Amino acid sequence: MTQTPIISIRNVTKRFGSFTALEDISIDIRPGEIFALLGPSGCGKSTLLRIIAGFETPTEGDILIDGKDMTEVPPNKRPVNMVFQSYAVFPHMSVADNVAYGLKMDKLPAAEIKTKVAEALKQVHLSEFSHRMPDQLSGGQRQRVALARALVKRPRVLLLDEPLSALDAKLRDAMRLELVKLQQTVGVSFIMVTHDQSEALAMADRIAVLDQGRLRQLADPVTLYRKPADAFVADFIGRVNLFEVTAHEPGSTTATVASLGEIALAAAAAYPEGEALVLAVRPEHIRLTAGEGPGVPATLGDVAFQGDSSIVEVTLADGRSVQVLEDAAESARLMQLDPGAIVTLEIDWTKAAILRRSAL
Amino acid sequence: MARRRRQRPGPFDYSRKLSLQMVFVLATIFLYAPIIVLIIFSFNDSRRGGNVIWRGFTTDYYVKAANNASLIEAFTNSLTIAVISTIFSVILGAITAVVLWRWRFPLKPGFEGLVALPIVIPEICLGVAVAVFFSYFGLYVPPGTPWPFNLTNIIIAHITFSFPFAAMVIRTRLQSFNREMEEAAKDLGATEFQVFRDVILPHLKPGLIAGGLLAFTLSLDDFVITFFTSGPDTVTFPVKVYSMVRFSVTPEINAASTVLILITLVLTAIAMRYQSFGDDRQ
Ligand SMILES: Nc1ncnc2c1ncn2[C@@H]1O[C@H](COP(=O)(O)OP(=O)(O)OP(=O)(O)O)[C@@H](O)[C@H]1O
Ligand SMILES: [Mg+2]
Repeated sequence: MTQTPIISIRNVTKRFGSFTALEDISIDIRPGEIFALLGPSGCGKSTLLRIIAGFETPTEGDILIDGKDMTEVPPNKRPVNMVFQSYAVFPHMSVADNVAYGLKMDKLPAAEIKTKVAEALKQVHLSEFSHRMPDQLSGGQRQRVALARALVKRPRVLLLDEPLSALDAKLRDAMRLELVKLQQTVGVSFIMVTHDQSEALAMADRIAVLDQGRLRQLADPVTLYRKPADAFVADFIGRVNLFEVTAHEPGSTTATVASLGEIALAAAAAYPEGEALVLAVRPEHIRLTAGEGPGVPATLGDVAFQGDSSIVEVTLADGRSVQVLEDAAESARLMQLDPGAIVTLEIDWTKAAILRRSAL
Repeated sequence: MARRRRQRPGPFDYSRKLSLQMVFVLATIFLYAPIIVLIIFSFNDSRRGGNVIWRGFTTDYYVKAANNASLIEAFTNSLTIAVISTIFSVILGAITAVVLWRWRFPLKPGFEGLVALPIVIPEICLGVAVAVFFSYFGLYVPPGTPWPFNLTNIIIAHITFSFPFAAMVIRTRLQSFNREMEEAAKDLGATEFQVFRDVILPHLKPGLIAGGLLAFTLSLDDFVITFFTSGPDTVTFPVKVYSMVRFSVTPEINAASTVLILITLVLTAIAMRYQSFGDDRQ
């Protein structure tokens, strides 16, 4: 890709006292993409977003927007806008005044402000609400005010801090689609913070997985799911069964894996001896059959029904539990069995992956 | 069949316990009986205000009080002092509150304590201190200074004791301010000043009004501190009432006091309304 990045995050480190919230992060944001910052709570996602917006200064490193160094540029002069986690809609201003605020700060002529506000409100389906006060709106409507208020300024990049976390599950799903559609119509890049991997997978063009202030992997959703960089990413993105590789050596075609014993695993040979490895198997890459047979013996546990499929929990001989995804028909058959019944796991070894415990 | 169970009243469920109702009624009587008596006897058609024998209804004493030039002068003085000291108290209080809320600086806890000190210092001490301060530094305005500048000393003294109250009320209001609101405004292009004007100030408004009304009522009925700083031609209403009472209690004083109670009551009600107003939004 030779596209010039719209935002360059260059070797950014942020420390609060002796605590390192971000460590040497470098990311380029492309024009017109939805970029997700994904990671567990406290990993530094919001901090990175606030550094881009200008509310925090990096301890080391720079932020470039359109190639210009932003170090000395205060938040009110940066060509980015933010949707806050609490939405931060001004309670004493009507919906229209909220949306107009940023344009007034830019000293645009009143007529132009009016048309732009009307257009922005239409985009977020709030045209009939322009004269309402924020306390007369629902949470979802308030969020759309915050969206319109930021988007009406046509920022180079829109920053969203957990934009959907305050909404209920149903509204959240609807807003996911709406946000993506909105992004496509306005063509502005989005950087979105989330701790919900399904949200990131569903919406983002690219995802950066952060953990404890460090960038674990940066990839598109499919790559992230299919080729996680390490065990942390595999575990964080979707469901996965991780088995520790207890012994492997270069040149060998087998390796010893916890719970599974010595198995044919040529992939492990690529790593130097002593490197901590794990075998990652997604639940959908395991098949369950009732009774004994060729494969890994296990006993049946809970079946968590999910509509079109079920997550089946089974227990291996050494007590380790494994998650298996089965379709509706198969899970109906499994539910006929008694809990504790003998089953056999068939693992699709072509899909199983050998990963380093940590890529760092 | 669902059996209706009588719920046992909670320990402070006063609406259902006779004993607690009694306590409530007695406390209310104890608190308000003197004031009610005062108000009732302001309409008593008797020459002596202390006279507890009802001699018929009259509003004569309100008329008489209204025609008492020195009483009206004292009343005007009090209102003038209250208005001016309130304006200064609110400005000073708001600045103090914002500084304490916004910035961290060395000795901040000490400074916070100092600001609150006039609230807890016995008023009599504050009165003496202010009087000593003025005379020691020769800061009393010379006699014969034209009205309203002859009230300067009293006004300064009133600002001293009422601005900490305003600061407290405003500070409390600031506590509920969502800092993301400030960042949102900045993010949309507002400067520090615009953030203050467009976002912080509107949020503070109920606090400013409540703090101002508190300062106003405190100033209006202050006796102790005023007594130490007022001169013969700068008598305020409470000081005037005091001197009249020393002479004799007349229904005229009852009438004038009733008016003062009414003003204080209305203002307090407005202040409380604004305070709760601020809470239920956002
Ligand atoms: N102003 C600050 N002073 C000290 N530590 C801070 C400050 N801001 C953030 N931190 C710390 O930095 C770390 C990262 O915080 P951040 O808010 O970026 O997390 P996050 O990834 O957004 O988490 P969440 O999903 O819970 O919002 C946390 O451990 C937090 O305690
Ligand atoms: Mg956060």
